[in-house]
Amino acid sequence: MKIHRGRIAQYKHDQMLRDYLKQNLNELIQQKELIVDGRVKTQIATLDLPTLKFGEESQFLAQGGGSGAGPGGGAAGAGGDQVQALGGLLGGDHHGKELTVELDFDEFVRLAQEVLLDELRLPAFREPARAGEVESQDTSELDDLERVGLRADLNLEETMTQSLLRNARERGRLDYDVDVQQDAWYFVEDPATFQNHRSVEIYVLDISGSMRGEYLALVRKTIFVLWHYLERRYPTNLRRYVVFQDVAEEKTRDEFFCVESSGGTHVSTGFRKAVELLRGVTEHDKFLFIFTDGETSSGDFDLAKRTYEEALEAFDVVTYGHVNPGGRGIGGFSEHAQEGVKTRANAVFANLVDLETIRAAMRQFLEFCDTRKTAASPR
Amino acid sequence: MMQAEYDQVISRIEGLARDRGLAFDPVIFQMTDSDEIAEVASMGLPNRFIHWYWGGTYKELVTQQSKEVFTILELVLNTAPSHAFLRSTNTYLQNVLVIAHVFGHADFFANNHWYRKSNKNMLNATEQHARLIRSYEAQYGQERIEKLLDALLTVATSVNTFERSQPERRKRLIYYLEERAPLEEFERVLLQAIREEAEYFDLIQRTHLINEGWATFIEAELLTRLLTAREWASLSVQLCNRPAPYTIGYTLFKHLRDQEGFARALEVRRFYEDVSLIDVALTEDLVRRLDIFVYDPKEKQKSYDLQKVKDMLITQKLYKGEPRVEVDPASQGRDLLLAHMDEDRKIESKRIGLFLKSVYALWRNPVKLRANGKVYTYDRRGLSST
Repeated sequence: MKIHRGRIAQYKHDQMLRDYLKQNLNELIQQKELIVDGRVKTQIATLDLPTLKFGEESQFLAQGGGSGAGPGGGAAGAGGDQVQALGGLLGGDHHGKELTVELDFDEFVRLAQEVLLDELRLPAFREPARAGEVESQDTSELDDLERVGLRADLNLEETMTQSLLRNARERGRLDYDVDVQQDAWYFVEDPATFQNHRSVEIYVLDISGSMRGEYLALVRKTIFVLWHYLERRYPTNLRRYVVFQDVAEEKTRDEFFCVESSGGTHVSTGFRKAVELLRGVTEHDKFLFIFTDGETSSGDFDLAKRTYEEALEAFDVVTYGHVNPGGRGIGGFSEHAQEGVKTRANAVFANLVDLETIRAAMRQFLEFCDTRKTAASPR
Repeated sequence: MMQAEYDQVISRIEGLARDRGLAFDPVIFQMTDSDEIAEVASMGLPNRFIHWYWGGTYKELVTQQSKEVFTILELVLNTAPSHAFLRSTNTYLQNVLVIAHVFGHADFFANNHWYRKSNKNMLNATEQHARLIRSYEAQYGQERIEKLLDALLTVATSVNTFERSQPERRKRLIYYLEERAPLEEFERVLLQAIREEAEYFDLIQRTHLINEGWATFIEAELLTRLLTAREWASLSVQLCNRPAPYTIGYTLFKHLRDQEGFARALEVRRFYEDVSLIDVALTEDLVRRLDIFVYDPKEKQKSYDLQKVKDMLITQKLYKGEPRVEVDPASQGRDLLLAHMDEDRKIESKRIGLFLKSVYALWRNPVKLRANGKVYTYDRRGLSST
């Protein structure tokens, strides 16, 4: 058996990288643009051996763009001409070359969850009891047939029968001459079962001027911890992202984590957009997570109340995260949302001040979900 | 396992190479995948000890290959017999090119003056080092050995295989530490192992340009005799699309052959290394043709001045593009004083503390570095500068 030294070395390297990143997580998570090209890029000065290197050079040896680029070469632009720095190319050695630390976003999230769960001292997730409608983590059974499906799930018997019938109809002969476009039938999951495995989660983020730095760190940490639990509760999660200031817009995941804070706050637009996104949704459990500092414009207050009510009607759970890194009192619209919890069974309120409050909020959220599930269980 | 389809072409190319006056140890070709090539390339030798640093390079190479940013077509080791790796995903013609290129390297390894004293038994040596490290890890603890290896690999870049004079060698940090650092026996054994491996790679670095140039030149010499005009045309496009050491070295050898004959090229490959090759063969005309220049990023200006280009190339080769830091002869007893010999150029300050920490881990007494117009000191209290 071959010992794969490269992979073992990579494992060691990645372990060190993880430790290093864990120490710098707080700084990283606050980066305004967290995801670039699907990856989390850091300014971390690499896991390099600390050999000596020159600082910025006034002059260097280079080659024009005509010659081929090779491994390790840095290119510098010079007007219209290509200038290929020759430094690393001539040495043939890899010592002293800077590798910028980059992580796949999912890898970054896993790492962040590891650190956060440890810091928050939250319980490891126990598989939920098999009760109620949201119950299965098993592989779904493909017990229905559909004309559209995956090639791997082709139902041969039905497809051949269809082929025979079509050939008899069109050519008057009983030939097996399968045309996948016309004849194929596929095994699919029964839609009625299918939706029970899924949740739709809508994340709404206030990106008005004040939401930056520590505010973003709190929101992102809360979301990452939420994902840890929700991913284990539901085999598939449909996530949609909304940001709002004076207006609300749906964003991709990557855009959501690269917010540009500016403008005023109209909480109502966030609620309204979230409700809009529910149209046509067949998933069983519908979650809304909204993060704001609650300082909605005075003219928006009444509308915000109304849209909040609409959201409570439309979603199974509405979690309102009052982002409050300074630990000030709860005012503005957040005060109203906090009050709402007393009267509405599906409202959750979290005052996000620090890790301790994220912990409290998560406990509350998990207990809340468990209570709902128990209530929904067949007796 | 070598695929039979290549056996015939290997013997043909080998025959052509010997007819052309080349001489070399047997070459064992091995067919392998990109992953294994990335593994060997990142570690330098296939059975070297496992270190996190190769892991970072391995990861980078695998990523680059998967994105097709660049691919490593071949790898050949300076051992007797030589071991060469062919990539199974290469096309047949690419592998034919690689085989010819490999015979060029094998000839260089066997004939170049500087390679005469190199350790051709390096595969066994590295295997032995790897076993030694594993046994030390069991005996002294993994963490302690890993920290020691980090420090040793950091100072190991100061080796110089060309330096034979004892007083001159003593100016190089690793030799100085080997002689005088208060190390325990097993630590000294490890230092020697790392130094030995570093010397193997140092030689490859100091002859990178001439070695790749010669292999590329030989590849062209042999393939023009082996391939049809059409096949050669399709491959020769790749000759001008190679990394700088290949193209620069190739052009210098081609120029030598055209001006002074093939026998002169053979002589140069026997006695020269990168610095002497550049010094003798680089001309104003070639600088222009190769489009090599000294670039000033502030002024956005290129200088094709032969002397300037030559000086910079030679300095780069002499010191491997790293700051020239030597042990100051004023170092006495427990005091270790290092000096940056090219004080006009600044060293990246954030690396100085970490570098001195590594040296301190081996020297165990205060270490000073004169650089950037300051004297940096690392002692048990950490880094300070005056």
